[in-house]
Amino acid sequence: MLAGRPAAALALAAGLAAMAAGGAGLILTQTHPSTPRWPAAAVLPTPTGPIAARPGPLAGPVAAPVALTIPAIGVRTSLIRLGLTASGALEVPPTAAIAGWYTGSPQPGAIGPAVIAGHIDSRRGPGVFFGLSRLRPGDLVYVRRADQTLVVFRVTLVRTYPKDQFPTGNVYGSTPDPELRLITCGGTFDPQLRSYLNNVIVYASEIT
Amino acid sequence: MEFHRYIRRLIVLMAAFGWLAAVPAVASASANAAGTGWIRLAHLSPNTPAVDVYLYSFGNPAAQLVLRHVGYGVVSPYEAVAAGEYSVAMRGAGAPATSKPVLSASVDVVAGDAYTVAGLGPESALRLQVLRDDLSAPSGTALVRIIQASLKQHVVTVRYGGQVLASNLAFGSVSSYQPVSPTGAAVKVSGSGADADSAVTLAAGSVHTLVVLDGTSGVQIDNLLDAAGTSKVPAGAAATGLGGTAPHGSSFPLTWLALIAAGVLSALAGGLRLRSLSRHPAYIPRHRA
Repeated sequence: MLAGRPAAALALAAGLAAMAAGGAGLILTQTHPSTPRWPAAAVLPTPTGPIAARPGPLAGPVAAPVALTIPAIGVRTSLIRLGLTASGALEVPPTAAIAGWYTGSPQPGAIGPAVIAGHIDSRRGPGVFFGLSRLRPGDLVYVRRADQTLVVFRVTLVRTYPKDQFPTGNVYGSTPDPELRLITCGGTFDPQLRSYLNNVIVYASEIT
Repeated sequence: MEFHRYIRRLIVLMAAFGWLAAVPAVASASANAAGTGWIRLAHLSPNTPAVDVYLYSFGNPAAQLVLRHVGYGVVSPYEAVAAGEYSVAMRGAGAPATSKPVLSASVDVVAGDAYTVAGLGPESALRLQVLRDDLSAPSGTALVRIIQASLKQHVVTVRYGGQVLASNLAFGSVSSYQPVSPTGAAVKVSGSGADADSAVTLAAGSVHTLVVLDGTSGVQIDNLLDAAGTSKVPAGAAATGLGGTAPHGSSFPLTWLALIAAGVLSALAGGLRLRSLSRHPAYIPRHRA
């Protein structure tokens, strides 16, 4: 097999090189998970302002949503308006830095499930809803409206679903009280599809 | 044989339809998960004076909610409550909480369901009725029901455009929900007296209770929003990520471990061969001898 001295020496050298390369690769790739590449955002102070009145049974129009604050995960963003794509799917914000309210859903603080979507990340780094899956029941979510009033929601449930089993009824279905749905991506990223395989949904209800 | 196959097919079909029918019954995932339902309280008896309404959780003598001085036509917002047994008591406005209630009723709240507990009928025959409220309209429609609480018009027929929502509905009674296509038409109430028109906004995906009340002149219609959904439901999931924070390459170190293993084998083989060559120099180059 290794008939001559040069061949044996070559095998030894190649082997040592492969060991070194393998070791280096192992160290370089495996150190990443232990140290997060992006630090968690700091906790933000509670926004202040007049709290919006809860809608009565004769529900009328309420002011449009303009900003969203989630102190527990350091989210503070203005809100753009989202519609539907040509194929009828939920439109998403053009940039990962901002979240948007779906105009086909009730306005936050009106009766029904208001829907706000934001990206978990861009191609380069974290997006506005990077930390959404860290929310827990009881955490508070604040929506500022155009009339400067605040609508306060309390998280009731945080769930992750495979995208092919998206819970349309739970997210968009009617409710008798003012509720909120926050939507982002999660789970494994499929580089072929250029898409995450899961959606993270946060369910919240307006506090009384 | 044929007959058996037919029966089997029928059973499969029935099972499939049962499954389909069960799907829209999911009202609110968050409510179900949290084990909560909703109750709202209403005074809909025209000649009954204002009342205080108490909500008690079963077995707890302290009221969970007290609405004071509730007059005719007043409906509270929904109160989210833990699933379980409740009782609703009505006392005259200002009566002590310890006094015997004028009326009481019990409600068994199921998680995810909503109820209206309404004082209905004339004062002489006042009753507390527990209504189960529907929370989801069939796609593209609005659900509407009528509560007839007007003494001025004892019997009414209610139309939305050309559609009859309730026909000859007597004072103190409640119609069942009906799906309608929202067209922007007015709601027309007709009885023995003058007809009343009311502009009522009904949105697709929402559920409404229209209450016919005695107004200052004639009847008045209050449009209660029982539940609201999304007017246009987006298809499928949301594309809310581009992968910039996802781990890239293989996260499992198998390739690196394999490279190290191959390196160890190769170096070992080369090293051993070199050693054997230096120990037995005469052995290998036999063809040179």
